Amino acid sequence: MSPDADERLASIVRALSDVVLPSLPAEAGLAKEQVQLCIGHLQILRAQLDHIHDYEAEELADAAALGRMLTCCAGGPATVSARARLREAVASEPGHGAAAIRAARQQINEAIGRLVEAVGIDGDDACRANLSRAILQMERQRSLKDRQWSAAFGFDAQLASA
Amino acid sequence: MALSLKTLAAEAPDRQSEPVMEPVCAALVARRAATRDLGPYTARAQAEVEDLLARFLTRERPRHTLGIVQRMGGGASKEQFLFELTSPGGSAETSVLRMDPRGAITETDRQREYEVLKLAEERLPAPRPVWLDADGSDFGQPALIMQFAPGVTKPQGAGIKVSGLGTHLGEPLRSKLKGQFLDHLVAIHALDWRSAELPSFAAPTACPTQAALWSVNYWKALWRLDRHEDRPIAALAEQWLLDNLPACDELVLTHGDYRTGNYLFDEASGRITALLDWELARIGDFHEDLAWVLMPVFGTIEDGVFRASDLFEREEFITAYEAASSRTVNRRTLHFYEVLSSWKCLIIVGANGLAAARARQNHQDVLLTFLSATTALFTDDLCRLLSQGTDA
Repeated sequence: MSPDADERLASIVRALSDVVLPSLPAEAGLAKEQVQLCIGHLQILRAQLDHIHDYEAEELADAAALGRMLTCCAGGPATVSARARLREAVASEPGHGAAAIRAARQQINEAIGRLVEAVGIDGDDACRANLSRAILQMERQRSLKDRQWSAAFGFDAQLASA
Repeated sequence: MALSLKTLAAEAPDRQSEPVMEPVCAALVARRAATRDLGPYTARAQAEVEDLLARFLTRERPRHTLGIVQRMGGGASKEQFLFELTSPGGSAETSVLRMDPRGAITETDRQREYEVLKLAEERLPAPRPVWLDADGSDFGQPALIMQFAPGVTKPQGAGIKVSGLGTHLGEPLRSKLKGQFLDHLVAIHALDWRSAELPSFAAPTACPTQAALWSVNYWKALWRLDRHEDRPIAALAEQWLLDNLPACDELVLTHGDYRTGNYLFDEASGRITALLDWELARIGDFHEDLAWVLMPVFGTIEDGVFRASDLFEREEFITAYEAASSRTVNRRTLHFYEVLSSWKCLIIVGANGLAAARARQNHQDVLLTFLSATTALFTDDLCRLLSQGTDA
């Protein structure tokens, strides 16, 4: 009957809010700021905790979908080489666990970044246009999901109108 | 002592030919790379700062008395301490010690900040710079001491706003501040940098697109250095920026971080008392400052109306700047610098801040990771801006 992660985080938040923060002297401004940020961070983590795996899996799926859209890019040697690398990244099966999912996403995103550079060097015109269109479309969708995910941080006053 | 920027600048490979970025910026990138190996940094203890100040002031103001030293809150990049110094005659002056942590959300140079504050002090409301420790020989890290300027960055009751983002001023403050905000920006752009003492600044005069290129190359180098993960939209934006460099017709001194949250004002009168955070100042294109002001993240939305820095609606700001400066805002150039601003912000919060936190080299890592939650705002901004094309 070990406590679940949310219970543990909740108890840490309570200790910080009810014990640590009030006991800090008035002049400990930096410490107070940081405790408040820690509480905020932990509260947001609590709200996200049960969804983190799904969120990261979706990030990987989105990266792979974009990667697949770009694997037909044509051009000179730089583009062909970067395209091969991207194909490899998209085709590789991610291992199990959160770290493996993150690593797979990073590998695909890095391969896309290199393809963008390569297309800038020797990609053909149609390929440039397609690449730009696909990235804008998929990254727009991804950004909206990320904005929703980060909404609780309170920076995004314009999310409702997005 | 911190790594010497002068040494790094002298060693920068860019010095051999036409520099790809401003030489000091190349040295800043080199310093950032070298600093990564220096290990973690912790917030300075109060007693340590008191001791450093006492030793420094014993040398610089031997007959003065150091009074209370107090850490200042707010800000996302420097460690700042308020202290009082009393002369033998009994007059007291309050100053601010502003020190670099080992790693920060922006990589900037205290020497440049000192020089630009010197230029600004008699012409604009800005803190008077008093001492400079460019290489950290006195304070362990590069540091600047400047006169304390009174005022607030947000009205009472505005709530907690991390780094001043999205500060709501409302009326009547908005009406009192907006004209000053605009006039001071125009005045910054009118500063005579050519005849000023700005030895650590270089002007991008080799060709008309060099101002934009230097800026893109500097942030590109920081991105390459600090990114933990690539992002397709960042790569696309970088390529677009390099393909669309605008010509600069008139080089001006830019502030670099001009927005609500980076000036102090007297709440009762609504008078701006000091313009702050000049560390990103450079000689470049005035559109760069306009684009920064117009960034959605620094503005507010009230009743569906966006106000840049909670002061101006978009077109109102552009028109007012044109009228006050007698310049014409080139919409294509403004668009370029809006893309650059969003890309820059993405690099600042999504790469530089997180890299500093990951390396445990900042005194407030938890703030840097908190601020990284804004990354999605900038990737989304980039999608929106790049979808508009060059003719926006």
